[in-house]
Amino acid sequence: MADAILSEQIEEVLGGSGPLEVIVGIPTYNNVATVGQVVKVAQACLANYFGDRKALIVNSDGGSADGTLEAVEQARTDAHTLMTVRYPLDPVHRLTTPYHGLPGKGSALRTLFQVAQAGQARALAVVDADLRSITPEWFNLLLTPILSQGFDYVAPFYNRHKYDGTVTNSIVYPLTRALYGRRVRQPIGGEFGISGRLASHFLKDEVWNTDVASFGIDIWMTTTAVADNFKVCQSHLGAKVHDPEEQGLDLSAVLVQVVGSVFNLMETHDLAWRNVLGSLPVPLQGPPSGGEPEPVSINLRRVLASFQQGVRDLLPVYEQLFSPRQLKELKSCAAAPAEEFTLEDDLWVGLIYDLALAYHRRVMDREHLLKSLAPLYLGWVASFVRQTEEEAALQAERRIERLCLVYEQLKPYLINQWPLASREKR
Amino acid sequence: MEGIWGRVVWGPLRQLGEQAVAGLSSLLGMLILILLGLVLGWVAKQIVYGVLHLLRFDRLCDRLGVGMVVERTGLARSSSYLAAEIVQGLIVLTALLAGMNALGTPLTRNLVERTFLYLPHLLAAVLVLIVGVLVSRFLGRSVLIAAVNENLPSARLLAGLTRFFVMAVTVVAALDELGISRTTIIVTFAITFGGLVTAAAIALGLGARDLAREFLLSQFRPKPSAEAKDTMRHL
Repeated sequence: MADAILSEQIEEVLGGSGPLEVIVGIPTYNNVATVGQVVKVAQACLANYFGDRKALIVNSDGGSADGTLEAVEQARTDAHTLMTVRYPLDPVHRLTTPYHGLPGKGSALRTLFQVAQAGQARALAVVDADLRSITPEWFNLLLTPILSQGFDYVAPFYNRHKYDGTVTNSIVYPLTRALYGRRVRQPIGGEFGISGRLASHFLKDEVWNTDVASFGIDIWMTTTAVADNFKVCQSHLGAKVHDPEEQGLDLSAVLVQVVGSVFNLMETHDLAWRNVLGSLPVPLQGPPSGGEPEPVSINLRRVLASFQQGVRDLLPVYEQLFSPRQLKELKSCAAAPAEEFTLEDDLWVGLIYDLALAYHRRVMDREHLLKSLAPLYLGWVASFVRQTEEEAALQAERRIERLCLVYEQLKPYLINQWPLASREKR
Repeated sequence: MEGIWGRVVWGPLRQLGEQAVAGLSSLLGMLILILLGLVLGWVAKQIVYGVLHLLRFDRLCDRLGVGMVVERTGLARSSSYLAAEIVQGLIVLTALLAGMNALGTPLTRNLVERTFLYLPHLLAAVLVLIVGVLVSRFLGRSVLIAAVNENLPSARLLAGLTRFFVMAVTVVAALDELGISRTTIIVTFAITFGGLVTAAAIALGLGARDLAREFLLSQFRPKPSAEAKDTMRHL
């Protein structure tokens, strides 16, 4: 029924029927400051790169009240390429701020996938509406690998400062890579391209009314594409600059939403990841793009103090999650002078694996468990900053690579412990 | 002559004998019921302990924080053992009351009746205590983690106070349910808390005014920009 309505709407906008080739999706919710520019760039891209193909720009809006829809209309240059749809937004989503800044992002993407399915689109590229660094080339890089090379999922690959995305670097990327065996460097990038086939596959899933859809849709898409053996690649997009208003989210909320989603997906796909050892590279499309990444500064003294306080005050919580050996090592780390502070990779990976097992066993309230990770994570950040203070981005990236290898080396422990945790859970 | 002898001597003796037999049978009945209760209680304890052990009840209690309370207070060697002992205790108590009822005296009947009327209050008080322990543990941990993540220096104190406050309210509610000096307890509670707050306020105002000022400034005054400037992006 929804498909029929959307098909009619698409025909009306395009002024004719027939399957679409390309869709550019822009989910919005109160993005008046930036959405106009994103729409203009999308139109320029379609004109430059896909002028001979049947294409459509779809704005999926959650009920913006700041003039976003008017800004989209003002940016329109061709009446036959732009369509606006409204995605349903639950009141609860308006009250909770997700890490990506778009309330009800799951619903927004679902609506875009439904449009892609109704229009029988071959490829769909989705970008955030709060971007300031977007160029027409981005859409080309997200769509062409699907149209020309038969890929199903195109993940973004950004130029980032060595201290940018520390949760991604310390947990999400290495853990996802070790679990599913594919090296997708930005598994929660925000921008992506997918084939019509994968969009239909996503729509069949029952994730849409869950917390994962609300708070972990990006990692869900990457994980599902990899775990279900779709053809995945990455595209160099250069530096990514967001609207500053969307930044500065509370760390514990980020951990609950993102790491919680990764742990949830471990339960969903446990049969897939328990048979995987090691990892394979994922093809990287396009030339390395320019654009200087935004600098990131970290107050080493502050993050180290947070780690030390966490180890001191949260010990009763950690006693329920970690082994006596790990606790001893954590205490020893916390007691070390700042200039000698290091959180070894094997200790860090062991902590993350034990946390995932404790989450699976439901040792305590899951939100408490994830929030208690914050000081330990800041300890990893402090250690990483101390080790790479004098290093260039490339050397810092090598350290991340070494961390990933430790995740992969220690994975047999996780594989062995998982069934025991499943039994204890019962 | 024979009539008088029978009425004056044999009659009372026969009556005494009948009363003694009735009393003895009641006593015997009581002993049998208690014995039966003890045996049934022991059997029930073994069964309940075995079943709860199989169902990993101890692990559940550990997760809920009840296990730690049982361990710390030394009530029993484990939560499932404590639950089994409670079941045994209830069966023995029931048998004891049934036995006393078998004696059939007005005093024992009255005692049994009162005990049975009191039991729901006792169970409600136990339930209130269990819920209180769980809530205090949950809220205490919530406050602890939130305070640590906000870098509050007195995180453990705040968490301890939260647990203490919830437990104090719980104990008052449980004692109130049991009807133990209701008014006295509420008044004591109010006086103690009022006193604590007043004492803390006076101590802070007179003895630690500067410390309080420094603490509040450190909590609410914006930190120097060199310290606060942190453009960390986690994702």
